[in-house]
Amino acid sequence: MTVEEIERKLIEGISTITNKNASEITVGKAFHDLGIDSMGFVEILVYIEKTFKLQLIASDLTKKDFENIRSLAAHINRKL
Amino acid sequence: MLVSKRKRYLSGSDWVINTLDRMMKSATCVGNISQIVLQLDSTLQQNEVRNALNRFVKKFPVISGRGARDIRLAPYWKIPRKNDGEISFHTAAPDNNTSPDGNFTFLEKSANAPFRDKRDYLSFQFLPNGGRNVIAMTFDHRLFDARGAEAFLSLFQQDIMDGSVDGDITFVSSAALTQWSRKFRAGQNVNRRIIALSKSTPEQLPIHREGSGAYRYRLISFTPGETEDVYKRAYHEAGYLMESTFFLAVIIQAMHDLFIRRYRTRSSYLIPVTVDLRPNADALQEIFFNYVSYFFYQIPVQEAGDQPKIIASLKQQMYDQVKAGFPKDLAEASQLTRIAPPSILGRLLHLPLEGKMATFAFSHLGKSSYHHGDFMGAKIENLFHMPRVPVPPGLGFFTNYFNGRLNIVLSHLDGLLKDEEVQMLEDGIRARCGVPKT
Repeated sequence: MTVEEIERKLIEGISTITNKNASEITVGKAFHDLGIDSMGFVEILVYIEKTFKLQLIASDLTKKDFENIRSLAAHINRKL
Repeated sequence: MLVSKRKRYLSGSDWVINTLDRMMKSATCVGNISQIVLQLDSTLQQNEVRNALNRFVKKFPVISGRGARDIRLAPYWKIPRKNDGEISFHTAAPDNNTSPDGNFTFLEKSANAPFRDKRDYLSFQFLPNGGRNVIAMTFDHRLFDARGAEAFLSLFQQDIMDGSVDGDITFVSSAALTQWSRKFRAGQNVNRRIIALSKSTPEQLPIHREGSGAYRYRLISFTPGETEDVYKRAYHEAGYLMESTFFLAVIIQAMHDLFIRRYRTRSSYLIPVTVDLRPNADALQEIFFNYVSYFFYQIPVQEAGDQPKIIASLKQQMYDQVKAGFPKDLAEASQLTRIAPPSILGRLLHLPLEGKMATFAFSHLGKSSYHHGDFMGAKIENLFHMPRVPVPPGLGFFTNYFNGRLNIVLSHLDGLLKDEEVQMLEDGIRARCGVPKT
């Protein structure tokens, strides 16, 4: 799976979780600017587990890797 | 779906809040209310504030509604055509304005004062406080949850700016008398979780029934610089966007220190944590009523002194509960409780966990739903909440972030904590946040 495909999948999932149109969600926008709080963030992690079979909750969840869709997709790509 | 300006069905969460209101009245003589406080940097004219709030509140007939049941027994909020009543508006006496302590005493008093009558769900407090006004809105939780109350005041400010707000809201709601198998399945999931939690009776501070029934508060407010440091530490120790987990871990340890000073603790701490399930935070009709559900976190006493362990456990418990759909199941299953009158439901809520429903309550509001930097032209220096926590446990911690500042409010039933214990909790929280009071 390419990074772009992962980004597309993430936009799809985050759009459902945040109740926002996919067009409003850009890959470089920080999650907190998308109105995502800790519960929303954990919902994204659960979505990642279901979609990519990756459990990330026990990892460090550093801002560098988890700040926005672009960095998260790159992180997932490295883990896959 | 019912689309109506005069009737809005109550959800399961609303019904539980109604029940808590009744339980609070019976235990403390005052209902399940809270207060939102705005500290301003300058003075406003008392009459201007009162008149503007009066005009605004009158736009909302829903504010003078009342609970009722329809022919199928589904509970709903009956909304009159007009809201004619004058708002309840109190001004602090001059002797309250001489010191921050005087202000806080006034705010504590208003947070504990019953409303004028049973159709009253709001009152406003005005503290001239020298050159720096304090405005507070005391509200009944049957009308708003904390986010809704912030959004309501935000709407007031919007209306001051452009006069655009129309309060005659069309509510879309459902009696929710279908899809019973889904509700029962959700109920089974909730029961399983409660049974798992019941294996260990949670630690709880003893409630003295002879107390005044009033709540006392401690505001732990961080400067913008301190707040930045606390968030950096939170993201470093718990992970990005996991500040609420960090705050809760810090509070658990401070509470653990208190418990081991008082008792030989053996079992575990149980903490219900509020979750906002609002589907669309910006919708006008979602300002009113309740959209909360809960996570339940359990930390064994023997782990409560180890911060990394607590953080890892809280994160995993949150993950497991989101994955299992627990907060949504709880909201769904609570629809089933609506058939029970609050007097009976109140008794049922006490059955599990030997009546010890929690060690303390916790809520993190995060980013404010008050979207302006000022109130009627006066800059807001800080905004925080003073809730009365349902009994038991009668003890709770509430964190919010406003204008670069983190606030932690400790709310406790009078007599539950000694003054030096409150100070010990503040010192423990500040130290673990990395910003001890200088």
